[in-house]
Amino acid sequence: MMGKKDSKKDDESGGSNPFRHLEKAAVLQETRTFNETPINAKKCCLILTKILYMINQGEHLAPTEATQAFFAMTKLFQSKDVMLRRMLYLCIKEMANIANDVIIVTSSLTKDMTGKEDIYRGPAIRALCRITDNTMLQSIERYMKQAIVDKSPSVSSAALVSSLHLMKQGPEVVKRWVNEVSEAVNSDNVMVQYHALGLLYQIKKNDKLAITKLVSKFSKSSLRSPFAYCFLIRVAARQLEEEKDGFDKTLFDFVESCLRHKSEMVIYEAASAIVSLRCTTSKELVSAIGVLQLLCNSPKPSLRYAAVKTLNKISISHPAAVTACNIDLENLITDQNRSIATLAITTLLKTGNESGVDRLMKQIATFMSEISDEFKIVVVEAIQSLCSKFPRKHNVMMTFLASMLREDGGFEYKKAIVNTIIVIIEENPEAREIGLSHLCEFIEDCEFLPLATRILHLLGREGPRTTTPAKYIRYIYNRVILESAEVRAAAVSALAKFGASSDDLLPSILVLLNRSKLDEDDEVRDRATFFYDILSQNDKALSSAYILNTLNVSPVSLERALLQYNQHVTEKPFDIKVVPTIEVEIHKPSGETLLPSSTKPTEKPTASRQDLYMEQLSAIPEFAHLGPLFKSSSPVELTEPETEYNVKCIKHTFTNYIVFQFDCLNTLNDQLLEDVVVKLDTADGYEIISYKQCAKLPYNTLGIAYTLVKIPDDPSQVVATFGCNMKFKVKDCDPNTGEPDNEEGYEDEYGLENVEINVSDHVQKVLKPNFGASWEEVGDANELEDTYALSMPSLEEAIKNIIQFMGLQPCERSERAPEGKNSHVLLLAGIYRGGHDVLVRAKLAFNDGGVAMQLTIRSSDSIVPQVIAQAVG
Amino acid sequence: MLALFQKVLDWFKSLFWKEEMELTLVGLQYSGKTTFVNVIASGQFTEDMIPTVGFNMRKITKGNVTIKLWDIGGQPRFRTMWERYCRGVNAIIYMVDAANHDTIGAAKTELHNLLDKPQLQGIPVLVLGNKRDLSNALDEKQLIDELNLSTIQDREICCYSISLINNLTKKKILGESDEASIDLFLDKISNEYKDGWTEENWEETCAKGWSTG
Repeated sequence: MMGKKDSKKDDESGGSNPFRHLEKAAVLQETRTFNETPINAKKCCLILTKILYMINQGEHLAPTEATQAFFAMTKLFQSKDVMLRRMLYLCIKEMANIANDVIIVTSSLTKDMTGKEDIYRGPAIRALCRITDNTMLQSIERYMKQAIVDKSPSVSSAALVSSLHLMKQGPEVVKRWVNEVSEAVNSDNVMVQYHALGLLYQIKKNDKLAITKLVSKFSKSSLRSPFAYCFLIRVAARQLEEEKDGFDKTLFDFVESCLRHKSEMVIYEAASAIVSLRCTTSKELVSAIGVLQLLCNSPKPSLRYAAVKTLNKISISHPAAVTACNIDLENLITDQNRSIATLAITTLLKTGNESGVDRLMKQIATFMSEISDEFKIVVVEAIQSLCSKFPRKHNVMMTFLASMLREDGGFEYKKAIVNTIIVIIEENPEAREIGLSHLCEFIEDCEFLPLATRILHLLGREGPRTTTPAKYIRYIYNRVILESAEVRAAAVSALAKFGASSDDLLPSILVLLNRSKLDEDDEVRDRATFFYDILSQNDKALSSAYILNTLNVSPVSLERALLQYNQHVTEKPFDIKVVPTIEVEIHKPSGETLLPSSTKPTEKPTASRQDLYMEQLSAIPEFAHLGPLFKSSSPVELTEPETEYNVKCIKHTFTNYIVFQFDCLNTLNDQLLEDVVVKLDTADGYEIISYKQCAKLPYNTLGIAYTLVKIPDDPSQVVATFGCNMKFKVKDCDPNTGEPDNEEGYEDEYGLENVEINVSDHVQKVLKPNFGASWEEVGDANELEDTYALSMPSLEEAIKNIIQFMGLQPCERSERAPEGKNSHVLLLAGIYRGGHDVLVRAKLAFNDGGVAMQLTIRSSDSIVPQVIAQAVG
Repeated sequence: MLALFQKVLDWFKSLFWKEEMELTLVGLQYSGKTTFVNVIASGQFTEDMIPTVGFNMRKITKGNVTIKLWDIGGQPRFRTMWERYCRGVNAIIYMVDAANHDTIGAAKTELHNLLDKPQLQGIPVLVLGNKRDLSNALDEKQLIDELNLSTIQDREICCYSISLINNLTKKKILGESDEASIDLFLDKISNEYKDGWTEENWEETCAKGWSTG
């Protein structure tokens, strides 16, 4: 660690940095100077600078040493030196989270923030808010309120921005300052106005109505600050985006009117908002595109950049509109600013026609070496979308990508290239072999382990299906010899897949695996031994189950199940079937964020949705005996939108039971509902076991009621429809406080839409990477074959519906029907309630007006194929 | 003429004899530490005070002596930090609310805890029993007993009973007592300090201050 840091420091041009060789211990020793009297301001300033530098270089200070230095620093408050005091504020902010007991300076900082020296006041507020924890927040409340409405803009701005940070820890307290903040929005100072509006939005963020009012209020009274205008446009755009059906004309009109604002910043923001909105019609688009087109020709590079970047972003969603700017974009290809040029070219690539591709690619190759990784990624993305648009051009693209792979570049850049090649391989079988060989060449000299392992995995999956699988073995085995442990492990797994798929290669693979059994790494050795033993059995079913298709359980659930198993002493072996299978992730192109600076996309939760449900349900004693949760459906609306009550239903399937979860929302602010229960009409064979009511349902708070039903014993009886009725007790209450007017309520009920249980509720999707192997593995013992005529307008439509009805996972990318062909084979896989594998092969043929389907269903259970067939019947 | 000459001479003297002393003021909350600082620094008594969150630093100039006064908050969460500000000062002033019999026990514990710190060995302590204007206030003798001051042997220590409301102070060093205004009290301390006051004769200095006042 130290060595690395030193070499980094040495790289910097020698002698220019006076802090190059700072020693932490020496600097901390120097802080004793702070205790001397009189204080030498200049010297102390230098020491503080050193501390700041050290912290910002990532030097770690232990709490005790940081605390000691911090308390020494507090002695500096006796000095009247302006520079020293301001340096002190900076240091306090940096140390706030490292040292203990930092609240000791609270009183000193409050004195500075309320004092006469304006130069101290803003920084003191910022420092104060950093050291204040939740318990102390109330004690500074009075000062903050005053500071927010202070007539000095720097003080007011500092207070507003600090409050914004405080919102994270104590939103309740900050919300009480709303009057002061509203006053600050009317400030004459542009910065204060912007900050105040930002804070006001944060305070009211969760109240949709209040936000709508906020926007309409400020869109009428003209704001002085262009920043505030931009912010308001973003808020309005988000509001428009969130409204599912009702389209608020006034909000849109406001954004539209901003296109004619006098500030360029506001004009751009409005145009950018309009083109990004999903609900924008092509007519409304025209004026916004016009604005962007004008900005493309602006003398200011920043505006050109913003405009071309926005056009690039929407070139997929609105290609026609962007094509209108083609001439302007052509002009930008030769722009001096390479970033602008790159964006212009990639935009043209995305919207252009096939004939132009070669010319543009040539153009871009000329300055590929001059642009940063970030823009190279933009180029790679453009190539990816081109390839799906013009599959025939894959040769040009592949060569281009391969040459990019050979050049130097960071991880993100290489990852983008590899991703693109993989997508092309998956989409276009013709490109498979050439793509794989480029990737093989890449891993020969690849410093990024995640990419190497990923490519090896891909080789294991795709390699055996090529015409000459043998040629990949050399590349893979080279990794076993040359690489680090994790790559070796991936390579061993890839080798095993070749062995499982090809009888010709099996003997050679066994020899190679045998060698790896002596590997020095545990994981590699374990894998090699495991695969070697399975392959030497020469049993197709075994290879298919353990090499070609792997476990489909979610790691979180597996961990929990194993933990539970270990808690009880039992003779029974662990049953993997009790672990819920993982839901197949739907691969979507990463959605672009709607607002340029809006919140980051939420981090992917570690636990899947189903794991969360599982946790929620197992906490309810009534459902504890139901066993493992098999599947949870996505929520279904049981009410019309914008009615008094809003109810959604989620179906949780267990081995023998189904739990209906009713998420109820009361949208009447003058009512309090109690004892809410959703009654079901009994349907064929299903038996209602119990209801669990929701005790209290106040206004705008989500309440959950459950109903438990038993699935009929007859295994072929699975489909049912239940009539639904919500029963509850109403108490009228005060809209403001939520307190009921009187204790006596009255009984009422509310009709809901029917709930249906379909075949798909009994089936969990499972992706079988190698469908053929699984098909053989299950065998034809319980096969069911039938022919159907479906009245579907197209193959795509038929495929979509079959998948939806059966609730199975399409495998081998068979859900995409080739264009222009009239027949297709759809392969589906899943697990039926109780843990039985289900595989479906549907041969589809389209002839005018209808689709003929030959359906073959295989399963490890005899009844399951009939049940599945019901779904289409 | 002579008077003018004397003034000029004093001024010159003050240049050479400028001294600085550092005091730390601690004690439980609501004992009147910040009020004390305000009274001696600017002669202002305010009844409506807010608790000190952290510390206040005041510089007070009396004659040629500048007194640096660290006034540290008395709430429980700050008590562990007292020691940091007591290190190396000329004297510790410990403020006690003499009229609040409920907290006197805690005041005793905190004082002894503080003085047990090895870092603070030998630093003189001045204990001030505040709010003597209230009828139920303890006098010096009672304070000495209640705070168990007689067990502290390793340093100079003295105890006064004061009231900031009528700006009066009453001293008690094991039997001897007197009254004077706080201003005078500080004047005396600083004058003595200028004339070679040392830690060793702290008690004596205080005694002299009151007997002459």
